[in-house]
Formats: sequence, structure tokens, C-alpha cells
Amino acid sequence: MAGFISFLENRVMPVAGRIAEQKHLQAIRDGIILTMPLLIVGSLFLIIGFIPIPGYSEFMSGIFGDQWLTKLLYPVNATFDIMALIVSFGVAYRLAEKYKVDPLSAGAISVASFLLATPYKTMFTPEGATAAQEVGGVIPVALMGSQGLFVAMLLAVLSTEIYRKIIQKKIVITMPAGVPPAVSRSFVALIPASAVLLVVWLLRILLENTPFESIHNIVSDLLVGPLSSLGSSLIGAIVCVLLVHLLWAIGLHGAAIVGGIMSPIWLTLMDQNRAAFQANPNADLPNVITTQFFDLWIYAGGSGATLALVVIMLFRARSEQMKNISRLSIGPGLFNINEPVTFGMPIVMNPLLIIPFVLAPVVLVIVSYLAMSLGWVAKPSGVAVPWTTPVIISGYLATGGKISGSVLQLVNFVISLLIYYPFFRLWDKQKLAEEQSHAASDQVVNM
Amino acid sequence: MNILLCCAAGMSTSLLVQKMEQAAREKGLEAKIWAVSADEVKQHIDQAQVLLLGPQVRYKLAEMKKVGEARGIPVDVISPVDYGSLNGKKVLEFALRLKQ
Repeated sequence: MAGFISFLENRVMPVAGRIAEQKHLQAIRDGIILTMPLLIVGSLFLIIGFIPIPGYSEFMSGIFGDQWLTKLLYPVNATFDIMALIVSFGVAYRLAEKYKVDPLSAGAISVASFLLATPYKTMFTPEGATAAQEVGGVIPVALMGSQGLFVAMLLAVLSTEIYRKIIQKKIVITMPAGVPPAVSRSFVALIPASAVLLVVWLLRILLENTPFESIHNIVSDLLVGPLSSLGSSLIGAIVCVLLVHLLWAIGLHGAAIVGGIMSPIWLTLMDQNRAAFQANPNADLPNVITTQFFDLWIYAGGSGATLALVVIMLFRARSEQMKNISRLSIGPGLFNINEPVTFGMPIVMNPLLIIPFVLAPVVLVIVSYLAMSLGWVAKPSGVAVPWTTPVIISGYLATGGKISGSVLQLVNFVISLLIYYPFFRLWDKQKLAEEQSHAASDQVVNM
Repeated sequence: MNILLCCAAGMSTSLLVQKMEQAAREKGLEAKIWAVSADEVKQHIDQAQVLLLGPQVRYKLAEMKKVGEARGIPVDVISPVDYGSLNGKKVLEFALRLKQ
């Protein structure tokens, strides 16, 4: 076990560090964070729209008219449905910041290139017609949301790379002295902007002559398709959870590192569920694995599902040290923050406690995945519940108001309790013995 | 004395902030102590005199040191033991030592 820990520390940590430091991945992660507050606000409206009380819908239309739901969901359309547009700006902005070039221009150019890659047409079925017709002159909303997420990310990176290379090579328009700096700045942005748009334009023209027809189609067929089938699979989820907890085992924030890479995929899966849920709250949703699957059903109390551990500790600890840790940990633990446990107990670098810490989440992933895919428990509805929401409440909200979501959290709590219990007893006994021998030797010294 | 703390989301370090503020009051020390997420450090570092990282984001030390050194601000990682036990007094003393 000691050899394994030193392997993690010496081999895995530098790699994890390099991945977490990688400029583009960092910019993508930070850019995606920009959408989170919007998604949470959009979720609020989604929850109010689908409160699962019999007669609620009739009650609301009685007061606000038949169109109440459509009107209530306006903010959802302006948050979830423009995710890609926000990401397009955010990723470019964050990347430009890292290169110390003007982030605002980079963001604007990135949005323009994202729209340049998007055909301004959509399919529309007029009233009375049987077949859908192609309608031009519209920005397709579908591609502004999660469906366009990867294109937005990729083009943000591409356009910002071109932008900063040109700026850094100083191929810019220099204005004579006396021209106000703001004016010369606007000219400076011209050359890079035209280079970026030229490249994206050529790319689009080129792809229009292939069977893919558009940048969106090629990315969705070759990249998003395979990535999301990998990300939505049980094996994919187990691998992610293993990695997260092995990183935590050496005291690194595994969820931040792995989530940084996986979040575009999980977000896409989450939004697919949201769209299906919004169309019919009782539909069988397409995905089990979403951002919320991990945050709310696996990481109860924080990474490692440590809420159960803290509760055992609170009631059964005999050593003073564990009693103290449990009192420090229970408050934050209810809101899924567990650093006092991971570093205080400690679990980090502790060969004994790492075993249940890694085992419990893996078991929970398997149990939750099966329960949801067999239809015993409602799948996450795409409602973006913040990860700090306490369990039971969060399971109910995230499934769009289904009790089964909370029940699974209870079951998961019991499972993690059983897994942690024997290891906790061993550790507590060891600490108690240490304390008693300290007390004994203190007495000797005092005599 | 302005002490900036950072971790992945600024959540668990904010627990420590409370304990450090308490320790500073007991010492009669005038201190501004606050916690932010690792992504927000750049917006806050100009008001800080010391930057401390939670041990779970110690893989960011090299990057943060670069940010800090450019401004002459010492940067280091909080000891996991003091972090886990939320020992505000010890972490405060650590920050004061770094500043010297």
C-alpha cells in the first residue's frame, strides 16, 4: 500500500498536475463555469414549471392562462438554450487572458466564428402541413445550446490561437502617433479578426462540399457521438470515479481535475435529459450519467461519500481525536464539503481508510446506475441543482420532483455506512490506543 | 495584513477563514482574510499580501507562484494536518512567517 501511495504521488500527481495546468483545458473549464449560474437560475424556473402535485398544472392555467408554462419557461430558453454561445465567448476570453492578449476582442471574434460555422436555417413544420420545411434567415436555437457546445469550444480555442499568434507576431496595423489609443486598438483587432473569420469561412465552404455538410455535423458525428457514448456508459463512470478518488487518496482535488475534462460531456448529457424532461416530465430520459449523477448520488457529504462516515463517527467514536473531527465535519458535511474529514481524520495518504474511500463510490456508481437504468429510480432530469445542496432534498429536486431520487440517496447512505463501518472501527481503536498510551506515558513523566 | 486563501471552489478554505479571523482577533491583529476559488485568484491577488493554497490544489502551486512572484507576494501550501483540523491559529502563524 505504501508503494502504491508513493506511485500515485510520484507518477500520477505530476501527470494530473500537468493536465490540470494545460492552458486549453483550463480555459474550457473556466469558460464553462460561466454558464453555471445561468443554468441554476434556469433550473429554478424549470422546477416551478413541473412541481409534481396533482392538479398543479390546471391550477396554474386557471390563474395565468393556458400559456403559463411556455411563459414560465422563457428564462430556460435564455439560459440552457444559449449555453454554447456563452461558452464560445467564455472560453475565448479565458484563453486570451492566459496569453495576455485582449480577452474582450478574442471573445467577440470567437462568437462571430461560432456563428459563421452555423448555417442560418432550421426545420419548421407549418400548421396544416405534414412534412417539415427548411426555413432560412434564422439562427437555429438547437445549435446554440448543448448541441453546439463542442463546436463552440473548439472554435473558441482555434480562433483565439490564431488571434494571439498574429498579435504576438506583431502583424498589426500601427497608427501614427496622436491617434487615440482606443482607435488604434480597434484597428489592431482587424487583421487577426479577418484571419480567423477567413479560416472558419474556408472550413465551412470546404465542409459544405462533403457529406457532413457543416462543421456542426462533423463534430457531432466524429467527436460528440463517441465521447458521449463513452461518458454515458457504466464503465466510463466507474473509471472517472476511480480516478477522482485515487487522486483524492494523495490529497489532490480529484473531482476538480477529472471534472475539468469531463464537464463538457456531462453537461451535454445533462442537457439532453433537460430537453426530454421539458417536453414531457414523465418521459424516460436518455441518460443516467450527468453532472448531477455524480454530485448528488455519489458524492454525498463530499468526494468518497463521506457523510455516512461522519455520521458513524459522530455516534460511535471513542477516541477524542475522532470525536473532534466528527464535530468539525458534520456541519460542512451536510453541504457536501469534507476537507476536515479527508485531511483531518485523515483519509489522505492513509492506507487503511483509502480502501473504503475508493470502494464506496465505485459501489454507489454501480448501484445507482443499475437502479436508474432499470427504471426503479428516476433519472436526473437535467435540473442543475448546486452540488452543495444537502441530500434527500437534492435527489428530489434533481429528478424533477420524484421521491425515488431521495430514496436512492438514502439507500446509498446505508451502503456507504456499511462499507465504512469496519474500517472506521479499526482506525478509531488505533487512535484510542494511541491516546491511552500517551496518557500513560504522560503520567510517568509527571511522577 | 491581507491573507488570501484558495482551493478548488473556495468553499472549504472559507471554513478556515472563520477560524483564522478568530485567531487574529485573539492576537489583537488587524487582518483581512478571505477565500476564493482557484479561478478567481487573479482578480483578488492585488489586494493580498500572502496567498495560501489548500493542500488539495497543491498541483497549482507552480502556476500560483508565478502569479505571486510577479507581484512580490509569497505563495505556499497549507499543511494538510492544520488544514484538516481547521487550525486557524497555526495557519495564521504560517502566513505571518511567510510574509517576513
